[in-house]
Formats: sequence, structure tokens, C-alpha cells
Amino acid sequence: MFKNYLKIAWRNLVRNKGFAFTNLLGLTIGITCAMFIFLWVKDEISFDKFNTAYNRIYQAVATRNFKNNIFTDENMVFPLATELQAEYPQVEKAAVTTQTQSSLIDYKNIKLKRDILYVNEAFLDVFTCKFIKGSAAQALKDPSSIVITETFAKAFFGDADPINKVLKLNTSQSVKVSAVIADPPGNSTVRFDALVPFNYSDPDTKRNIAEWRNSSWRVYVKAKPGTTEAEVGRIVSAVMKKHNPDEKVSTYFAYPMSKWHLYHDFKDGKNVGGMIEYVRLFAIIALVILLIACVNFMNLSTARSEKRAKEVGIRKTLGSDRKQLVLQFFAESMILSIIAFTLSVILVIVLIPMFNQLVDKKLVLNFGEPLLWLGALIIILFTGITAGSYPALYLSSFNPVKVLKGSILVGKGAIVPRRVLVVGQFVMSILLISSTIVIYQQLQHVKDRDTGYNANNLIMLPASQGTNKNYDVVKNELLRTGLIKAVNRSFSPVTDIWWQSPGPDYAGKPAGDPIIFSGMFTDAGFSKTLGVRILQGRDFDGVPADSSNMLLNKAAIEAMALKNPVGMKMRYGPKEYTVIGVTDNIVMTSPYESVRPMMTYYSNNNVNWINVRLNDGIQPKKALASIKTIYNKYSPEDLFEYQFADQEYGAKFYTEELIGRVTNIFAGLAIFICCLGLAGLASFTIEKRFREIGIRKVLGATVKQVIMLISTEFLKLVGLAFIIAVPVTWYLMHNWLQKYTYHIDMSIWVFGFVGIGILLLTLVVVSLNTFKAATANPVKSLRSE
Amino acid sequence: MVKEEKMIKITDLEKFYRTEEVETVALNRLSLEVKKGEFVAIMGPSGCGKSTLLNIIGMLDDPDGGSYVFNGTEIAHYSERKRADLRKHNIGFVFQSFNLIDELTVFENVELPLIYTGVAAADRVKRVEEVLDKMQIMHRRNHYPQQLSGGQQQRVAIARAVVNKPKLILADEPTGNLDSSNGNEVMELLTDLNEQGTTIVMVTHSEHDARYSHRIIRLLDGHTVVENIMI
Repeated sequence: MFKNYLKIAWRNLVRNKGFAFTNLLGLTIGITCAMFIFLWVKDEISFDKFNTAYNRIYQAVATRNFKNNIFTDENMVFPLATELQAEYPQVEKAAVTTQTQSSLIDYKNIKLKRDILYVNEAFLDVFTCKFIKGSAAQALKDPSSIVITETFAKAFFGDADPINKVLKLNTSQSVKVSAVIADPPGNSTVRFDALVPFNYSDPDTKRNIAEWRNSSWRVYVKAKPGTTEAEVGRIVSAVMKKHNPDEKVSTYFAYPMSKWHLYHDFKDGKNVGGMIEYVRLFAIIALVILLIACVNFMNLSTARSEKRAKEVGIRKTLGSDRKQLVLQFFAESMILSIIAFTLSVILVIVLIPMFNQLVDKKLVLNFGEPLLWLGALIIILFTGITAGSYPALYLSSFNPVKVLKGSILVGKGAIVPRRVLVVGQFVMSILLISSTIVIYQQLQHVKDRDTGYNANNLIMLPASQGTNKNYDVVKNELLRTGLIKAVNRSFSPVTDIWWQSPGPDYAGKPAGDPIIFSGMFTDAGFSKTLGVRILQGRDFDGVPADSSNMLLNKAAIEAMALKNPVGMKMRYGPKEYTVIGVTDNIVMTSPYESVRPMMTYYSNNNVNWINVRLNDGIQPKKALASIKTIYNKYSPEDLFEYQFADQEYGAKFYTEELIGRVTNIFAGLAIFICCLGLAGLASFTIEKRFREIGIRKVLGATVKQVIMLISTEFLKLVGLAFIIAVPVTWYLMHNWLQKYTYHIDMSIWVFGFVGIGILLLTLVVVSLNTFKAATANPVKSLRSE
Repeated sequence: MVKEEKMIKITDLEKFYRTEEVETVALNRLSLEVKKGEFVAIMGPSGCGKSTLLNIIGMLDDPDGGSYVFNGTEIAHYSERKRADLRKHNIGFVFQSFNLIDELTVFENVELPLIYTGVAAADRVKRVEEVLDKMQIMHRRNHYPQQLSGGQQQRVAIARAVVNKPKLILADEPTGNLDSSNGNEVMELLTDLNEQGTTIVMVTHSEHDARYSHRIIRLLDGHTVVENIMI
């Protein structure tokens, strides 16, 4: 029996090629999108799960409550890990690490920069690393050892055995390879190229292990089984309060590994999600696109029901019961679903490199993975059953006597549900398209934001010992090239803040409620090199007195409520400073947030970056060649590296641009599938109304009038969809925009634009289909009577 | 003596239907004339070219050869658009199967030609009501075609054909789907219209219906075989 269903289903599809093609195209696109999103989502939700103790790993984090800003950060003190592990039985292991540090590695004249993570021994107990050579037990024992990843090993040693080879780290330190581990997987939050153990005999480390105030380390806890998240949080909090009883700003808690990747964003001390929102968004988009494709099948199937009514009537007369008919129609949708799925798999295999490029991942379609087959089965069943459900139930319900007598107008009963489905499809498409436009506008708005400095033609180089020692000569040589307008140095690159601290003290400062400041060190030429506007007073000149001078930014004087800051005395730490100028706000961190107060001090020592402002119209390539020559002359040991400020600033839009790109494509595909369905429906409508069109033409209707007659029906539906979609989109996008302090106000024109666009598209799609019927000789339609 | 004006003058009209293998001659150098105010019946066996001729006269189809002069203008080579324009102002159609639009009410069906000739809304109501009244189906104005009897449907179709006050009515077996009493009513209606000055060309199989006309043109194999003048 089942074979019979399949045979008939197959013949029906072959006989109705247009119908089959429209559906296959829509379903294939829908399933392909769903598969790509499935792979992406699967990767996103798999983050860090390769760690064997995934459910027991926590990071110690703190919410800092300052008067002007509440934020959550992961900077902890070094000895926290030691004490947690030593004194709390709930803690199985506690790891402490630095942030990754881009370091110069030198081995037999191969010089490369690699990201190094300095760690304590517990790191390998907390995190799961796959050892290829060497063992976890011995890898970090020797303070002069280094554990390298496979890619690292390949780059320096090729196929040779790296074990016991000695590398030079940052030109001075010698480290010996003790083990080779697999690269951290693409879905690991903690990323590095090599691990180096802390050297406890080093004076700096000795100082750090007893330092309970300077927070710049990451602390991770592997709890004993059965220990709750809250318990770990309480322990961390207790240790910190014990050592800093007067500190009121920080609230410590444990942040479980399962949330590191997906729930990464904190606002005002509260977790506000993160990638999880995009995971949900994309999962919904996949479902929506698949549904739109399924709706096409439902609509086209019921629309052509007139053609099949007779078949249903005859089958019922001959003894088929309803269940058999339902199964037969499901067989048709299942066959389509399976064919579409097969085509999609081919498409995914072909397109996966492009998709990977789009989403910046290394996704693979791994046929050996059971989850993939489960996903495939779910997609096929979902598509087949959803698409087939309504047609199966509807078509099988025909009364055979009436159908065969021709006394009922078959197909009429399905008109309303069909219209509802078309409206639903377009609501979703309009929502997707409008949202894409809002996302794009928001991105542009933030990109066009006044950053407070000039990022164009600005090159940033990491300063080396050599360049710092010979800075004046380096600077002069750079300026003498004639390619460079200005040079100065700073503590962090202008695209990042490396130092945050409560602000300076001054006479009249209100007690309590400390204000958090961003901190910066710089030398002479700060405003000229970076293009920062000085609003009051002056910039540093480089005179000796500057070491007791400071600059504030506009946000600082606003937060401190100062009227005439220039000339004011301020105290920061043990030293007194005079405010000599006020700069404009500079967007250094998130371009979506407002700029924090900033204090800038003069220093020739705490400077890690050389900023180089090129002359107008200079080719960066040409300038870089000269800069490199000078850099290498004074820093022969180091690798010449540089960053363009505008590119670094642009990188801040990474996630939003990625989301924008992906939604853009999916919105386009959604509307394409909708139009496909619309075209199908229009052609069926025309087929059904062929006689009517003929009559109207005989009575004098013009081609335009016939096209409008058919189009109006669809335009009304799309118009209704638009009316429904606008408030929904408004609500959703309004909420999305609230995430950003610096955001656009949504314009009604977005919807006007989308509305007109969609209506025009509908008109074009329907007209193209109607044109043939409208220009056909009416004699034909009337003769077929 | 009043000079009799010609409404239709067809000379050596040809029409072929081609399939891949066969070429069928539908009209073979056919010539005929219809004067203004005449009531002409066209008869002949199935496949003799009656309907083809009617379609060409009605400007729904174009001939492959010969000449067709309508109201003194040669239109054999008119474009579809020009034919359509001429048609909607001059010709009304009555079909055997009524060809009413199921989704529209009686009123709306009759109103259609007026919409297509751009008659103002208020004027349309007046004219549709007038013609419905004349056809005695005013009480059915809000019904749908499938709610009417065959005779009533054909009256609606005639109402629709005359609402634009055409100079020519083309009727293709107007009583073919009706019983004799309804058929006679329809023929009476057409006769009335003709008496009021409308030219009528009717294709029919029915000798009885043909007797209502002034002249019967008999076709065989695409050309005129005989013309009977009714006395």
C-alpha cells in the first residue's frame, strides 16, 4: 500500500512540474537555511562543553558599583586562587591566569608573535587539554617550561619533535618545550597558543602572590561534585571580604562555564544575555524560513485542489477511506521533503566554505555525528508533516458525491485559511526585512558617531625596549621622513582602555560614591597625534613640569560637576597634579556606550604604544616601509607590528556586522520564498479565473485592468500583513535598541520604505504571472467552456 | 428611398487553424454583409465556422486573410488594443453558457461593461437599474448567478450585453442551454432590441430561433452556401 502511495505521489509531482519545482525550490532554500543555522547554533551552544568538568567550572567575577557606573568584570587578585584551593574543601582546584599576552617567540631566526597565557599548575586540572606529547602532570612543573599547541609547534618545528627545544620568549627569557597539546577547539572560550607557568622566584610574582588589592588576574574554580554555584560565589566573596573588609564597591560571585559564551553581557551588574540572543534569533529565523516554505506547499496544494477533487471523489467512491487519502497526501509532502533535504545537503556541502567565511567559523558537516542525523530527521519530518498537514486534511475531506456531481465549488473552503497563511508569511518577511534595516541603520549610526579623535591615517605600533630607550631619536627620524605629521606614545592603544580606577581626589569632592575613571598615560603631542580636541586649557608640552600635570575629559568634568577645572589641584595616589586641560570625549571602548570619565597623566615610562599620524594623502604602504626601517634599526630583536586605528575601531562592530550580514541574507531568502509562493498562487488564481478574465476582456477590460484585478487580491493581503508586522517589528526592534546606550530613534520611514517595496514586489510578481492571461485571446478561454 | 447603411462588410475572409500536422480551414474566402438594424441568423452544422465567424465579427479574433469593414472602417489588420477599444463601445455579446462571473452579483455582472468604458458610478447605477428593469430581473439584482434559473441567467447576460447600448449584439446560441419557454422569452427580448434599432447577428442550430431573424445565412465548410430572406 505504502509503495502505491509513493508511486502515485511521485507521478503527481512529475505530472505537475511547475508545482513541484516551486515547492522544491522553496523547501530546498528553507531547509538549506535551517541546516546552516542548525550547524551554527550547534556550535554556539557547544562552547566549552569539551571540558570534562564542564558543569563544575566557575570563574570568579565581580560587579563594581561606582557612582557613575556599575559594571561587571573578571579582574581578580592573584592569591584568591591559592587561598580558595588551600582552605575550602568545596574547591577541588583553583586556577589563576593572566590575560593572553601577545609575545615574541624566537627560535633559530623564526620570529613570530604568539598569544601566551601565564598560568598556575592547576590550570591543566581545571581545563581539559588534549596532550599530544608530554604529560599534564609534568608539563608545568618547571618554571622555565612552555606548553605549546600543535599549530605553534608546526610553525616553529615543522614535523620535528619540539620536546626539550629551547625558545626565546620576549627576546630575553628562555623557555623549554615540555609538552605539545591540541589547539583549543574553535568552541573554547579560553584561547591561547602556549601556556607558561608562573615563576614563583621572580620578584614580581612574589609581590603579586601577596597582593590583595591589585586585580588583574583571572581566577577559575573547579568545584567538588555537588557544590552549587551559589556556594562557590559565597566562598569567593568570603575570601575577598576577609582580606578587604573596607571595600564596599565590589560584589563577588561565581560565573558558571555554561554561561561564559552565551551569556557574556552584563549591564548595571545584571546578566543581560549575549550570544544567546542571537542563537535564539537565528533559531527562530530558521524556523520561520522553513515555515514560509511549508506554507507555500500548503497553499499551492489546496489551491490546486480543484484539479484533485475529482481524483479524491473517485478514490472515495472506489472504497478508499479518509485515512488512506491522508496518508497519500502526506506521502507526497514527505517525498518532496526528502528530495528537498537531499538537495539541501548538496547545497550545504557546496556552500559551507562561504557560510564559514560569513560567520567566521569552521563549521563542518560531519556525517558520522549522530546529532546531525537526528537534526536531519527532525528537519525532514517537521517539513513533511507541517507542509502536508493542511492539504492532507483538507483534500481528504471532500464529499465524493458532491465533488463528482460538480455541485460544490471545490477550493472555496480553503480560501480563508490560505489567505491567513499568506498574510502570516508576509508578516514574517516584513518583520525580517524591517529588522535588518533597523540593524543596519543602528550600525551606521554608531559607525558615524564622532569618536573624538581622528582614526584615519593613524598607525599604532607596540613600543619595544629599544624604541623606548631611543625614543627621541626614533621620533625625529620618523618626522624627518616627511611622511609623518606627528608622533607620540600612550599607555594603551587609542582603541582600548587598559586601566580603570576610582578617580582623583580634590578639594570639595563629595564623600562616598566613588567615580570610576578610565586612565591613560601619554607624552607630548597627544592631541596633535591622535587628533583629539582640547576644549579648555592646553595639551602636555613635554616640559618636566608635565609630570605633575594632568588632563581630564569632558565626561570627567561633567561627572565631577566642575565648572573651572583648569588649574585645579588633584591628588591621585601619593602625588598631587594640576589640571592643565580638558579634552573632548574619546570613544576608546564600546562605541555603543557613552564615554566614561578619563584622567590622562604624563609619562615617559608607562607608555606601550607609539602613535604615528601620517601626513594627509600619504600612502600607508609607503609610510609603513619607512617606519619599519626605523623601528628595526632601534629594535632589531623585535618583530615589527602595527595596527591601523580605523581598522581596530571597525573591529568593534564585529558581532553586529556579522549578525547584520546573516539576517540580511536570510531576510532576502525569506522574501524570495514568499514571492515564489505568491507567484504560484497567482498562477493558480489565474488558471481558475481564466474564464472570468476572458469574459472581462470580451466586455472591454484592458490588460492593465485585468492585472489590477488579480493583483488587488494579493496587494490587500500583503497590505494587511504590513499593518500587522509594523507594530510587532516596532516593539521588537525598540527593545533591541534599548541594549545600546547610544542608539537611533526608529523612523517611521523604514516601514514606509519596506511597505512600498513589498507592495511593488507583489505587484511585479503577480503582474508577471497575470500578463500572459491578460494578453491571451479571450476566445480561447471561452471556447474551453 | 432611404439608403441602407452597411454595418458589416466582409469580403473573402479566411481563417485557418494549424496544428503541427494539419491545417484546418475554418473560413474559406467567406463574404457577407450585414446592414444596420438587421437581425441575421447564421446556421450550419458543427464545425462549419459559425463561431469562428462570430468571433471575428466580434473582434475577439483576427482573420488570416480578406477584409472586414465595420461601420465603414477596415479593421482586419487592427491591433488587439484598437479592436478591444472598438469592441467595448460597439458590441454586446450573449453566449450559450451565459458566461456570468460567479463571484459577482447580478447587478455587478451587468455593471462591468460600464466600468470598462469609464462610465461614472452614479450614472452606472441608473443605467444598470434601467436595463435590469427592462429585463424584469430587478428583484434579483443582489443574487449571484448560481442562484438564478437558466432563463434568468441569460436575461442577465442580455442585460449585460445591452447596458452599454451597443450598435451590434452578437449572440452565440443564446437559447442553447434553455428550455423552450425560456428560449422563446430570450428570442422575444432580442427581437425587441432589434426593433429598437440594434443590429443582431446570431449563431444558432435552431430553425425555430432562426425564424425570428430577417435573414438566415447558412454556412458549410467555411463559406456561405445559401441565404434565405425571411418574409
